[in-house]
Amino acid sequence: MAPSHGHGPFAHRQHALLLKRILFFGGKGGVGKTTCASAVALAASRRGKRVLLVSTDPAHSTSDIFGTPFAAEEREVLPGLYGLEVDASLEARRYIDTAKAGIARMFSPAVAREAERQIELASSMPGVEEVALFDRIGDLIVDRFDAYDLLIFDTAPTGHTLRLLRMPELVSAWITALSKRRRALLALNKDIDQLRLTPEAMNPDEDPILKTLDARREKLEQVRARLMQHNFTGFVLVVIPERLPIEETARAAALLAESNVNVCEIVVNRVLPADADGDFYRSRRAQEHLYIEEITRRFAQYPLAWVPQLPTDIYGLDNLERVSSVLIAPL
Amino acid sequence: MDWKELKQNFGDFVHGYFVSEYERKLREQFVDLNDLFMLQCFMELVGLPNPAAIYLLDVYPFFLEEFHTWHRRMGMDRSPIGSMPCC
Repeated sequence: MAPSHGHGPFAHRQHALLLKRILFFGGKGGVGKTTCASAVALAASRRGKRVLLVSTDPAHSTSDIFGTPFAAEEREVLPGLYGLEVDASLEARRYIDTAKAGIARMFSPAVAREAERQIELASSMPGVEEVALFDRIGDLIVDRFDAYDLLIFDTAPTGHTLRLLRMPELVSAWITALSKRRRALLALNKDIDQLRLTPEAMNPDEDPILKTLDARREKLEQVRARLMQHNFTGFVLVVIPERLPIEETARAAALLAESNVNVCEIVVNRVLPADADGDFYRSRRAQEHLYIEEITRRFAQYPLAWVPQLPTDIYGLDNLERVSSVLIAPL
Repeated sequence: MDWKELKQNFGDFVHGYFVSEYERKLREQFVDLNDLFMLQCFMELVGLPNPAAIYLLDVYPFFLEEFHTWHRRMGMDRSPIGSMPCC
């Protein structure tokens, strides 16, 4: 079967993407996540939506596509289109600095200085950047949700992103366990105290540790709830008609389903255009045809969008516009 | 010492005897629970990953006193974590 390049049965469904409030773009490295995320962001902003395009991929190609640097703060790149580049190591820094300030407030300068070096070490611990990055994404999802019509996250390659999406589940379970223990401890402490003539036990609600833990958990739960809200959060998987990306996409789709995240579309990028000529292309197309059939079969339950390979690489607005009009039918 | 005083003393003794026994049990339980709680907060110490490690940096300052007693009881003379600068 010949994929309908953005027209035909799929075209009307593309607008479903624009009904969402939060979109994640993911896929194997190099399949065109950034291009597709940027193209959808562009289309949405052209329709008068306020869009925030967040690049979390350490490769940060978003700046290159738009030909204008994305900063660590939200900045209007095009009318209605705001860009933000989240740098995991910067976020980790920021977080560690906050923690450090807390310690500095409570202890003598000498002690704080002593601690400084070791805290620095903590910032390079594996996992810290990941959590800090997730924390920032969570902040955006919760705090910036109302400021925009659409939040688009261009994520790092699949494995990383999936871990990120499952993180709230893991961490909040952990924190729940901790705060339960803490509560039990405080209750016990109260019992002991009550045996005295003048009880002085602290009210569990005033325990700073419990308060901090509970605030954390509440935030994580909020993020988790938003991620699983199928009607306004969606995950777009980008794939190219080749063996390895197909397999990775299938795994990703299964994992996302398991985490109850809605895969709202699969974009098949870089499909050879029908008019590509010559022996070389004929043989490539014969192989591609098999993969396209496989994609259609294996991802039958998802809306599929087909993006043809363009004669040039995607760079600059003109090219982006072309992808945009394929992904989302022009007005 | 009249009969009333004696009765009062005896009452206090019995009360103290049982309550202190009960309190000792409670305290033991408290210490055990606290050890477990601290272990969960400082899993890195025993080489296990702690998924919430970075979030716990927030609460570390509140822990300082408890952490000190804990690491002493666990047989570590000096603070095993640099970012917990108790000793």
